[in-house]
Amino acid sequence: MNIRALRLAFCSILATGVLASLAHSGTSAGAIRGSSQQTSFSPARLWDGKTPDFRGIWQVRDTAYVNIEGHPAEKGIAASRSIIVDPPDGRIPYKPQALAQRQENYRNRTTSDPSIKCYQAGVPRATYLPTPLQILQSPGNFAIVYQNNHAFRVFHPDTRPHFDSADWWMGDTRYRWEGNTLVADVAALTDQVWLDQAGNFHSNEIHIIERYRMTGADTIEYVARIEDPIVYSKPWTLRTVLYRIKESGARIIEDECLEDANGVRHHISPTDPRNLLKSDYSRWKKPPQK
Amino acid sequence: MKTVRAHYGFAVGVLFVLLSAGITGALTAQVSQVPTRVPLDRLPDGHPNLQGLWLKSSGGFQGLFIGSLDGTNLAAGGARGGRGGRGAVPGGARGPAPTRYEYTPEAEAERLDRLRRGYEDPEARCHLPGVPRALDQPAGLYPVQIIQDEKYVALLHEAMHDVRIIPTDNSRHPRNYWAWDGDSRGRWEGDTLVVDVSNFNGRTWLDMAGNFVDQNEHVVERFTLVDADTILYEATITDPTVFIKPVEMRFTLKRVPADQQILEYSCLEGERSLQHYTEEDGGKKARVK
Repeated sequence: MNIRALRLAFCSILATGVLASLAHSGTSAGAIRGSSQQTSFSPARLWDGKTPDFRGIWQVRDTAYVNIEGHPAEKGIAASRSIIVDPPDGRIPYKPQALAQRQENYRNRTTSDPSIKCYQAGVPRATYLPTPLQILQSPGNFAIVYQNNHAFRVFHPDTRPHFDSADWWMGDTRYRWEGNTLVADVAALTDQVWLDQAGNFHSNEIHIIERYRMTGADTIEYVARIEDPIVYSKPWTLRTVLYRIKESGARIIEDECLEDANGVRHHISPTDPRNLLKSDYSRWKKPPQK
Repeated sequence: MKTVRAHYGFAVGVLFVLLSAGITGALTAQVSQVPTRVPLDRLPDGHPNLQGLWLKSSGGFQGLFIGSLDGTNLAAGGARGGRGGRGAVPGGARGPAPTRYEYTPEAEAERLDRLRRGYEDPEARCHLPGVPRALDQPAGLYPVQIIQDEKYVALLHEAMHDVRIIPTDNSRHPRNYWAWDGDSRGRWEGDTLVVDVSNFNGRTWLDMAGNFVDQNEHVVERFTLVDADTILYEATITDPTVFIKPVEMRFTLKRVPADQQILEYSCLEGERSLQHYTEEDGGKKARVK
């Protein structure tokens, strides 16, 4: 190997390193800034000719519903990386006392997770559940139906203030269009829900700015900026991607939370014999149909 | 021939217009304000625009007053009269004729038994109400938001946050799916949305008064936009193992003023109203013998 080849090799290693670090910083910055980066894709329009058409059945492909801060693989649970893009370390900036509460939640996660009791998932948790959601839309109307626990959110225009005289499981949502991005302001969320199965939580002072942006015909980038002065030391941001379910005839199915004979409500198959209630009418002896 | 028919049709049309104009004129003389027939609002696909926030105005639902549950079972009293808790539903007296249920003998015995154990209504345990109960809620209480496009009519019910996203492609029911709300497939017959609902899990009650169905339930619903602010809702329920005659239900949905919005309804564990449940069902109430 001569000097020239060596120098070339050295230069290319150097260049790769520089490029890699550039790429790295580029990725995190892009992810944080989210929608301001790529503006190339222009979604189809509704029949009014102007409203971006987000209709369809969508679902995330990551496993962040287990722990949005990322988690190593465990028995029966695939590994996942943090979907938190700001702060860059992918950790929720908890205040010290709140962090202690999260650790407590984590220890009791198998029994304390509100979703075990079939509560509606809340926002943003409903977005990255491992079940699909359907966006319903027409000019002037926007709603998301989540398969999980048949929860839905009707998005109201931000021309009227929040209906925040009560805390809601799915919050109160006001939205506007910023170009092709739907920007939703979510307030009046209850503090009775978690952000994932790992005990990450918020108070009822939580305030979320969601940004939904199509990055292609079959992908929606979802960015949520979350602030909660009670629990977090500063606002933080998560980002995930919703993929279109393209299977023909795909539908949201009914996901009803059932109460078993012990009065415990959970998701089990309607045909599961454990799910028969004392008050159920399986005992109705149906005459054979002619 | 075609031309002749067209002319004939035109002549009849003109005659009809003249006649109705005459009638309208006559009515105008008597009643000062006759609603003018405005063309129905339509989507670009030509179908009536059912969108908006709607509230059942009256009729239908056979209810009990919650307040009376600790004392008398009004539904039991209503068993002979055929209407649970006579006059219990506000506006019910002035509403459409009460729904008639004609049961097979076995099903009638079952209904009477359920009437006696009326606290076991699955909706009281926060379960999905099924069809047509999703729409047949107590009048004036829980609105339904309708969002519609060329492929779907979606009903977002405030009550029980129940959702039905109905395809309007007249597609077939699946063979491997059963649900509290069954499976809904819609089609347009002229200006009426006709929804065929099947694949029920057979666990729902039709009301709080023990009227029930099983897995053989089949419902045909008809949604007709009568005027800008009124949807006529008609449902025919058949269930050969429960009813000897189809059950007919009919009521109207009225548009909710635009300054109001749908709210979130939550029915949760911990809100079990134990005083309203009998002891054998984990409640605190002595069973009505």
